[in-house]
Amino acid sequence: MSLSPPVEGTPPVEVRLRDLRANDVPVSIVARVVTAERREIVRKSDGGRRPVLSGLLSDGTASVRFTWWDPPSDPIERGEILRAVNVQVREYQGRLEVSFNWKSRVAPAGDADLPVVRPEDIPLRPLAEIRDGEDGFRIVARVVRVAPKTVSVGEDRRLLHEGVVADASGALAFTAWSDFGLKTGEAIDVSGGYARAFRGRPQLVLDERSAVRRVPGDGLPSAESAARGAVRSIADVEASRGGELLEFQGVIVGLLPPSGLVNRCPECRRAVRQGLCRVHGTVQPEPDIRARLVVDDGTGTLTVQAGRPETERLWGRTLEQCLATMRANPDPTVLEEELFETLFGRRVRVRGRGSADDFGVTVYPDFLEFEPADPRARARDVLASLEGGAP
Amino acid sequence: MTGRETAWRVLAQEFGASVEEEKGVGDRAASYLISPLGARMNRVLVSGVLSQAEAVGRDPENPFFRAKLTDPTGTISVTAGGFQPRALAALRTVTVPTPAVVVGKVHLFRGRDGAGYASVRAEAIRPVSAEEVRGHLADAVEQTSQRLRLMATLADDIRGANTPVPGFPALWVRSAQEARQRYPNVDRRGYQPLLRATLRTVSGELALGLPDPAPMLSGTPQDEPAAPPPAVRITRTTPPPPPGLPSAAERAEESAFLDVIDQLADKSADGYADLNEVVRAAARTGVTAQRAEELLGRLEESGAVEEPVVGKLRRS
Repeated sequence: MSLSPPVEGTPPVEVRLRDLRANDVPVSIVARVVTAERREIVRKSDGGRRPVLSGLLSDGTASVRFTWWDPPSDPIERGEILRAVNVQVREYQGRLEVSFNWKSRVAPAGDADLPVVRPEDIPLRPLAEIRDGEDGFRIVARVVRVAPKTVSVGEDRRLLHEGVVADASGALAFTAWSDFGLKTGEAIDVSGGYARAFRGRPQLVLDERSAVRRVPGDGLPSAESAARGAVRSIADVEASRGGELLEFQGVIVGLLPPSGLVNRCPECRRAVRQGLCRVHGTVQPEPDIRARLVVDDGTGTLTVQAGRPETERLWGRTLEQCLATMRANPDPTVLEEELFETLFGRRVRVRGRGSADDFGVTVYPDFLEFEPADPRARARDVLASLEGGAP
Repeated sequence: MTGRETAWRVLAQEFGASVEEEKGVGDRAASYLISPLGARMNRVLVSGVLSQAEAVGRDPENPFFRAKLTDPTGTISVTAGGFQPRALAALRTVTVPTPAVVVGKVHLFRGRDGAGYASVRAEAIRPVSAEEVRGHLADAVEQTSQRLRLMATLADDIRGANTPVPGFPALWVRSAQEARQRYPNVDRRGYQPLLRATLRTVSGELALGLPDPAPMLSGTPQDEPAAPPPAVRITRTTPPPPPGLPSAAERAEESAFLDVIDQLADKSADGYADLNEVVRAAARTGVTAQRAEELLGRLEESGAVEEPVVGKLRRS
């Protein structure tokens, strides 16, 4: 099937994606392609191949997955707007899906054909409820921090702004591919963004189609209070599978390899073993020190990735001193053991960003310091809690 | 998530009173020691004064050391062997009682009388300042009191094992429910005064000293009423045998029935006993056909008898 004009006669009723229902009534939609991937489905019976294009469509009110059987051979670009008449709506694994088959007519359409959506019509969502892959939501939040960053996208160098926004429900990291002139402390109303997972955590992505308005921000936490969130138990951090502005305390109970003196690839900073980088092959490694701390507070346990500045500070040793030790005794495990002896059993306070994978939560700290035991004050606090809630 | 086991903060009293073990099933499954207060320990962090270690066993190839760690509530046995080189090295350097922090795996030894003795197989040990020990004791007191509060909350209302309790980690709630089942008759009242007394050490009012033979009594000042002894009383009721287990008479009946099958199978050409012949032979010993069916069903279910072809029986 090719791109063809919409059928004449009585076209199926045009609906917004938000109003789609899974029934047999054929409908017509106008939506923008958010992602699209071309594949081939191999039929089991005779090995015949059938091309299929699938991805995500959005019209500003909601987004749905789509499957286009036998798509045209011309490439369908991300951002293209399509009008699809006579499409089938099904429910698959609890989510709606549309599919374009031989009965459907698909044609290019323009911005003007998209349903008009006023920001007020888009549902306002608390940050804590936003999940990977969602769009068609609006948020009102405080910019807790923002910083420019340059990245390479293919051959291009692109400037983007990264940071964290927070509301009363929680915090979310964001990446803005266009410059909205965001400043720390501003309260903003954002529509037309979408959520994408980064290191296992949903992240807000803003681009040229997003709309950002400044708002008074009554009821939002201040940037300072959001940045210094409540101290949480590690069990709580684990239950929320990480978070953006975490703060917790715990005791260092272990050190995961590789810690201490490591060699890194000069290109990608990955750890190098036997002079071989996983990606760049044989490289001239650069020495670095780091520590992968196992921090435990009795309710749970997680890993804190300490980089060179944090490790040097906690260890009281610099990279140069470590290299000098290595020249005297070229056994890196001796250094690792010394690092362990310095850190084991010590209490630390950590602030940073954490994400979860199969092995638990890993935290990338903005702040990592030894915490004094102060048992006298602790005794007072614990005694007060004993008096308060004596069973 | 297949996470690392959390190091529970416990005091020596609660640790020593823990005698219930939860054995994991399957490959590399972890085992847990359940405490009367609902700690479900695979790993612990304990702190106190560590005594000089003694070598256990004479084999120099397989060094194994044991030391006593004393906190204001009692002592914990801390061991390390060749598989814990780091902790073993640290244990060997302790020659005088030293304040220390220990992280290790929980080990439960069952004596011949069935009594359980919990110890810590240390993964890492570090001599620390008395101040730091008191900090770790503060954590242990705080979390013990939280477990006590959770147990009290659960005792007050009846709810499903997986119902969350606000303010407590889900794992704690599950562990507390498990502890309630395994220690149905534990008197937990003794712990509250014990925690208060320990706080006097935490605050620095009492020195972090060597084990006192009666820490509770000496730790109670005159102006407070004498606290009850901290001993935790565990009354065990013998659980009723689970239903479905055969009685001795039934066992005898089964074994006679199996003999019949064996005899017939030996005599037959194909090595199998014919079902009809078995029922007839059993009838001669006074077993009705219906009873024979029941017995056969049970034996096949337990795997004692197999019936690869319908009507053909054999001892498996």
